[in-house]
Parts: sequence; structure tokens; C-alpha cells
Amino acid sequence: MSAASEHPILDPALAPPFPVGALPMLRNVQLRKNVAHAMDVIQAKRARLVAEKTDWQALRTAAAAIKDETLAHLGEYLEQFEERCTAAGGHVHWAADAAEARRIILELLRKEKADEVIKIKTMTAAEIQLNPFLEAAGVRAYETDLAEIILQLGKGEPSHIVVPALHVNRSQVREIFARTMGIKDLPDDPKALTAAARNYLRQKFLEVPTAISGANFLVAETGGVTVVESEGNGRMCLTLPKTMITLAGIEKVVPRFADLEVMLQLLARSATGERMNPYTSLWTGVTKGDGPQNFHVVLLDNGRSSILGRKTERQTLRCIRCAACMNTCPVYRQTGGHAYGSVYPGPIGAILTPQLYELRHAQSLPFASSLCGACYEVCPVKINIPEILIDLRARVTDQERHTLGKFFDPMYVGLRAANVIFSRAWLFHAAQWMGRLGAKLVTRRDGWIHALPSVGAKWTQTRDLRGLPKQTFHAWWAERGTASQQVGGSASQRVGDAASDPTLSPKSGEKGGTTSREAR
Amino acid sequence: MSAVTDSRKKVLEAIHAATGAAAAGSATRNAAATAGTAAGAHADIPRGYVRRGDMTVSARHERFIERLREYDAEVVECEPEGLAAAIATQLAASGRHRFVAPPGIPAEWYVDAAWKIEGFECTFDHGLETREIEQAEGVITGCFCGVADSGTIVLHHGPAEGRRVITLLPDWHLCVVRLSQVVETLPEYFDRCQVSGVRGQGEETLPKLVTWISGPSATADIEMTRIKGVHGPRFLHVILVNDEEAGT
Repeated sequence: MSAASEHPILDPALAPPFPVGALPMLRNVQLRKNVAHAMDVIQAKRARLVAEKTDWQALRTAAAAIKDETLAHLGEYLEQFEERCTAAGGHVHWAADAAEARRIILELLRKEKADEVIKIKTMTAAEIQLNPFLEAAGVRAYETDLAEIILQLGKGEPSHIVVPALHVNRSQVREIFARTMGIKDLPDDPKALTAAARNYLRQKFLEVPTAISGANFLVAETGGVTVVESEGNGRMCLTLPKTMITLAGIEKVVPRFADLEVMLQLLARSATGERMNPYTSLWTGVTKGDGPQNFHVVLLDNGRSSILGRKTERQTLRCIRCAACMNTCPVYRQTGGHAYGSVYPGPIGAILTPQLYELRHAQSLPFASSLCGACYEVCPVKINIPEILIDLRARVTDQERHTLGKFFDPMYVGLRAANVIFSRAWLFHAAQWMGRLGAKLVTRRDGWIHALPSVGAKWTQTRDLRGLPKQTFHAWWAERGTASQQVGGSASQRVGDAASDPTLSPKSGEKGGTTSREAR
Repeated sequence: MSAVTDSRKKVLEAIHAATGAAAAGSATRNAAATAGTAAGAHADIPRGYVRRGDMTVSARHERFIERLREYDAEVVECEPEGLAAAIATQLAASGRHRFVAPPGIPAEWYVDAAWKIEGFECTFDHGLETREIEQAEGVITGCFCGVADSGTIVLHHGPAEGRRVITLLPDWHLCVVRLSQVVETLPEYFDRCQVSGVRGQGEETLPKLVTWISGPSATADIEMTRIKGVHGPRFLHVILVNDEEAGT
């Protein structure tokens, strides 16, 4: 497996910028094939099931409003959740950041004298890098979701928030399982591989007395916690152990139990293209004789309250982690998830990750988008991702404006120069004259510019530029004033020519950023 | 433990600062009172989605069956007086012999029924050990509700539905659903959760434990190929008892 040599880094503090991180993925044909296949399957299923819902848009509107209401009164709802959960026998902990959440969880595990723990897939735990921390502290965490087992045993990293191992194909899974589980004659048929995972985990489920989960929803009204899953590994972890620790972002709360009637109609259809996921569990504190008798919830802030305070960006916290945005994203489709250098990839990752780090890391992610808006269209809670991307781009640019490095940035210097030139007519005319002179040197006989020198090469690397027209608009306008009577008809023809988009060329129609000069 | 309360205060203060509630509610910090004010805004949430279905009884039942089958669940129908026989037929066809059941299943499901005698062993769960439940090959339960729109069976883990673990470990689940328990849409299930019939006024009646089952356990984690049966039951069988007049 060639990808092994380029182990992806999903810690935004250490990961390379998106364009650098994307390169090995773009070169990995197998990975791109695996990702494209998975995206095609999920998208087709989702589209079919969304189409059969006549009230889909009304559900989206309600879901967005429910989350907005939650966020507007987040403190109250969290306190209500805490009160009701505690009354039902649960324990609620608050963690301001990742380090604190890890410490709380480890302390709870130490109190239980646990050296092993079984886990339900939780992206929030991945966000706080819980597994490596627990391992260093001598606690072995067993992932129980099939995709997470594949990644844990194969020492891989998640590339998607719902199907984290979609970049791994069946023969790669077979290799990982055969090697790590010591099974000699394991076929590469998904049924046999799934059975192998079932056998591998069965004893763990029956023996390990402590479990860690995430949460899909917290219900303020009842103090209940909801987990949505497919395999039954979640139910195993929620039912068999003595102690359950749930890690949940503070934005996961909904006001009332009945609000789930909206959220749960949207989630499975958006996430996996099913009318409903096989299992949805809700539990409230502890129930005598049924399930863990010791229950803890860790409420995690870790940058979320800073997102809450910004008007445009607040909607980021509506996210219910369905991954529909990445499934539909043309950028994600090409690069897969690892390029984003975060456990949250795709469009939602591009807005969530930099914000969780208050723009100290992952500043390249808001630019990892074509702003096509497909993510907004499919988002079940109507997060206007393009709007937030643009806002974050402005903030990143503002940040850079305050460093001396800006004087080495051709974009900054160029735009500052343009600022001066565009504000003085004579300078503009002079620059135009010089520009036309320069353009003549690089324009080929076919009327197109195929290669610009210096920083301009970045532009022409992937697209051709149309050569400048013979006459500027200014010159034409001046001429028209004197000769409009005779040439009215043909003049409008030429205006059309001059106004046509100079960046539109045959090359720009290509996909995937590869350059083929013969394409025309 | 002061660090603990400090974090709570820190997080809540950050949230209140962000939502602007700090200024508005500085006088009293009473969770119940503030949640009360929030409830006003909650009532204004636009709910233009379908909250009540418009299908006839028989169409609803057809829909429920169709959706269950799409999940690879086996569905059979029977009249109330034929239920014990239907259960017996299912058990016999399963090729399994050791079953568990919650202690609260109605007596008419098994009293005088053939399956109680013909070589089947059924243990009622009066606090069985996990190991004993793991030995069972199948489980027989009732349910709280069925949702036709998504083919979902809802368990509230009452006396006839049992503890969560008994519908989890056995590989084969036989669930008895009465047609009067089947609603068309998900919001109608949430209506049934409120005994008072008025939303927001019956919170003491809301279920503490809920499991929704939509087909047998499954995964699509390897190349998006749907595989039935991972950790939960691999087989879901449903007996629909026709206890409603059709056409209404």
C-alpha cells in the first residue's frame, strides 16, 4: 500500500496546508477510486430517499430553527440537561478544552481501575485525540465500529465522519484483518470480513466493563442522550458495561424530546441514504437492572463558545454530523478526507476546523472550496457553508495583513499596487498601455495566452487566457462618440467580444486540475 | 473539586457572553425559570412538516410491511386468535430451540400454545445473567409502536419489550406488533409518547429508555456493500396482528 509511506496527519496544529496535503491523495489512483465509488453509492441512495419526502424542505427549516433556538439559549438548555440528567442518576462534567476533557475521562477510568475500554465511534473523541492519550496513560481503547476497527488495526486515519474507512477497499481490509487477527484463509468478501470483526469483538463486549461513546443528541427536557448507529456495537457498549462515559460537544443539545422527530427524520437519510438507521438508542441517566449503573457525560467546549459568539459563523454549530456536505463536495471527491488535515474533512471541516482553533491553525481550509454551494443545498440543518467560507477567508486574509510577511506575498503587493493605479486615471492608462505591450509578447498567433511568466504561471498552469482585444473599451468608447452614426451595429458586436469573460478558455472545462495542452 | 466547578463556570460564562444572555439574566440564575423563557421561543419554531399522516388504515399497514421488507425483515400477518399459532410457526421455521422472552409478554401468546411444549425452551428474563442471554438463540418480544414511514419498531423496554440486552445478544428477534400500534409518521409516534396528548405538558411520561429498530443490524463500511448482521440480531421477524378494522 503506497499510502502507508505518506501517513496522513489529522492534527490541525501539525498538518500541512490543504494544497500540500492534497497532493499525495491526488496521485493515489486507488484512493480516489475508492472515494469516488463510496460517494456515488451514498449520493444516489440519499437522492432517492430525499425525493420521496414531500416535506423535506419544511423539515430542514424546522431543524435549522430548532438548532438556532438551542444555540440562542444554549446556557439555559445545558443547565437544564445537567439538572435532569443528574436527577436521573447521571453525572455531568464540563470541559473547557480538549486537555481537560481527556483528563476528566482518564480520572474516571482510573477510578474504575480500567485498563481497557470499549468505544462507540465518536468524532468528538477523535477531535480531542483521546486514543493516543489513553494509550500513553496505559489504557487500551478498543474501537467497535467496523470502520474504526479497520483503521485502528491498520493504523490508518479516518477520512470521513460517517464512513471513516471508505478510502480502504476490501482487499486492503482483508490484508489488515488477516495480519492483525492472525486469520490465514480470510477471503476478501465483505460478509466474511464483517464476520471476522464480529468474532474479534464478541468477547470484548462481554468482558470489558467500561465504555466510551459520543452523542448525537442530548435532550434538555429529559436529560436523555441519543446515539444513532447501524451495527449494534453501540447498543453493546450502551448495554453491557458497568460504566459508560459519554463525550459530547456542548452544541449537541436539543430543547425537547419531540424535537427528535425532526432531527431523526433528516439524519439517516442525509448520512447513509436510509429511511432510518438500524438502531437508535436513547437513555436517561441510569436505569436499575438495565445497562450501565454508572453514567457520566462530559460536556466539551473546546472552541465552540467562540464560534457561538459570531453572528455569521454561529450556524456552524447547527451541524448534526451527517456528512452529506462532503458526500456531495467536488473537492472532497477528488482529494478524499486526509487532505484536510483534520478529523473533520469536507466542507463542514473546512469551516469547523479553523474555527475550533480560532484560526490559529488550518487557515488554508476555507480556501479549499470552489464555493459551488452544493454543500448548502444538501445540508439538513441549512448551514450556509459558502457564506461562512467567504467570511473565514476574509478573516484569514485580515490576519495575514498584520504580519511583515505580507510584503513578500505577490497577491498582497499586486493588490496594493492595483489600489494605487486604479485610483489615478493617468496611472491606469499608462499601466494599461504597458500591459498591452507586455501581453503582445506572450500572446500566441491563435489569440490565446498559454503561458505567463513568473507568478502569472500559477494562473496559466491550469487554464489558458484569451489574448487582449485589439482595442480597449476606453478607446472604443471615445471612437464611438464620433462615429456612432455609421458603425452602431458592428460596434455592439465588438462590445460583446470585449466583454466576454477573458478567463473562459477550453482548458477551464477540465476536471481534476490536470493540464492537457491538447485538450483543445 | 474546585477545578471542576471552575470549568463549569468558565464554559457557561463563555456561552452566556456569546449569546448575550449574561446581561439579560444577571439578576437570577434559575435553570427552570430561564428554560421557561426559552420555551416561548421554542413554541415559535416553524413546523410545516407532515405531523399527521393521511393514509387509510390498510394503506398504512401495507406501507409498514413494505418498508420492513426493504430492510430484509421477515413479515407475516395474523388475526388475534391465531397469534399463538403464528408464533409457533415462526419458531419452528427458525430452526432454533432456545429462546428468551421478557416476563411481561401476554399469557395468550403462549398459554396452551404448541410452542410451549414441542421441544422449545423459552426462559423468561427475571434478571438473567448476560452469559445466559448470550446462550439463547432467539428472543420474542412485543413493542411500543411501529412507524410505517420508516419501517421502524420502537421499544420502550416495558414489561412486554424487556431489558435492552435481551433484544441485542440473541441472533434472531421475533417481534409482535399489533396493527393498532402502527402509526404512519414519526411525529405521530412522538404524540403517542405524551399520555396527556398535549405536547410539553407530559414530560413525566416521556420514556427513559428507547430503542428504535429499523431492520436487522447492518454495516456498509466495506466498499458501501450492505452486510446484514454485525453485532445485533442478524434476523428480524415481525408478526403483525390485525386488531384494527380496515378502511378507517
